[in-house]
Amino acid sequence: MDYLKFTPELAHDWKNAISATEKEIYLLKRVTDSMNRSQLESKLWIVNELSELMLFPKSVVLLGGWYANFMVPLLFQHGVSYITNFDLDPDVKKISYKFNKSRKDDDTYKCYLTNVMFEPVFNIKYKSKPDMIINTSCEHMFPMTRFKKLNRGFFNDVVYVLQSTNEDKYEDHINCVSGPEELAEQAEFVDVMYSGTKTLDNGMERFMVIGR
Amino acid sequence: MNNILCMKWGDKYDDSYVEKLKEQCEKNCSVDFNFYCFTDNPTHEYDIQLPTYLDHHYIPSKNFFWAWRKCYMFSDDYVEGDKFIFLDLDVIIHQDLKYFFELPMQKPWIVRGWWNDIGTVKKNYAKYISTPLNSSVIRWNRGQMKPVLQHVKDNAEVIFFTYASLDNYFVHHWYDPWKEDGYIQGFPQGDIYSWYKGNVFPDDMEKNIFREDHKICLFNNSAETNNVEELKSLWTI
Repeated sequence: MDYLKFTPELAHDWKNAISATEKEIYLLKRVTDSMNRSQLESKLWIVNELSELMLFPKSVVLLGGWYANFMVPLLFQHGVSYITNFDLDPDVKKISYKFNKSRKDDDTYKCYLTNVMFEPVFNIKYKSKPDMIINTSCEHMFPMTRFKKLNRGFFNDVVYVLQSTNEDKYEDHINCVSGPEELAEQAEFVDVMYSGTKTLDNGMERFMVIGR
Repeated sequence: MNNILCMKWGDKYDDSYVEKLKEQCEKNCSVDFNFYCFTDNPTHEYDIQLPTYLDHHYIPSKNFFWAWRKCYMFSDDYVEGDKFIFLDLDVIIHQDLKYFFELPMQKPWIVRGWWNDIGTVKKNYAKYISTPLNSSVIRWNRGQMKPVLQHVKDNAEVIFFTYASLDNYFVHHWYDPWKEDGYIQGFPQGDIYSWYKGNVFPDDMEKNIFREDHKICLFNNSAETNNVEELKSLWTI
């Protein structure tokens, strides 16, 4: 997959999402940051590798999925039926529901204000039991073992897609890793299905592992 | 009984700061109180040995300015009495502290740094920076802050890994800047201001001036530039 299908429906939702930042100017910078080239590159990377691995999940959980403006439409393009996003930023729910309004309206996209390193999410009423967990924000969080422990094994059999970086110049990059090997180690993968590195448009080295 | 607590560890502040704070409290508190200092080096009758049971969670390589030791005083085990106010050593008290002991106590109180731009606070919320809270002054009644201590104990590994400061931790777990409310509430505008940062954004941001109609002046700044000598020179004013 080389691109995101920018449908009239998506154009309508995105326009409304960006318009919502007019009242809260501080949000505009955040929203535009979420829409840059590197963001799309890293999300396309995910769906491309999932296709290579012939992985077609039905119900996906996003951890720290932010506004999910690229990830949600790309995953639906990939055949996913339900997406549940957990993020700790109170603005995310409002903005991600605007970006993905059509999916919110047909009840295939849900967003919860949750700090997944402190609160379990296994007890949420999922439309369909999740079979994949995607965390493209690993550098912003404690290692994934904590998430697994909090959720008492509920997500042990799902496929994890994890991204992180070694770029430690940002204050909020509290958990940088040296490479995909360390990322997989942190999550205690026993089955690494994919492991790779990509240099994004912004110059940042990004690591991705897919596995269990 | 009313209790005024402070804390001193390491060598950034010497004993004269504790003595000066005590002197300020005696001059500016018209109700009876006990004064205590939690310290790693107790030498005075008001000193309480600082516990250490959380210390091993600190991760030196992260170089966080993490005042986790303040959490120790949230235990009910060290000081008797019902009413507590904590003051950092680098404060100047302008008005009667009786005000703080007479506040309604449905919730504990903490400094809401009104000098912060709330847009910046919200923008940076998920980045663990730009907290609007400041733990230089905290007011609680017996037992009210125990859930905070328990939460830190229960989640120490993650908290020490994640948060660069106690104030960043507070804002993610005990306060909601969007609602300006939470388990802990912020002192209202007009109570506490900052020497280095100003008073209320955006209209009253002049720095390095006293506002003696306020109760307390803080000398909060980044750890690298906080000038303890400047504070000492202002003691004489």
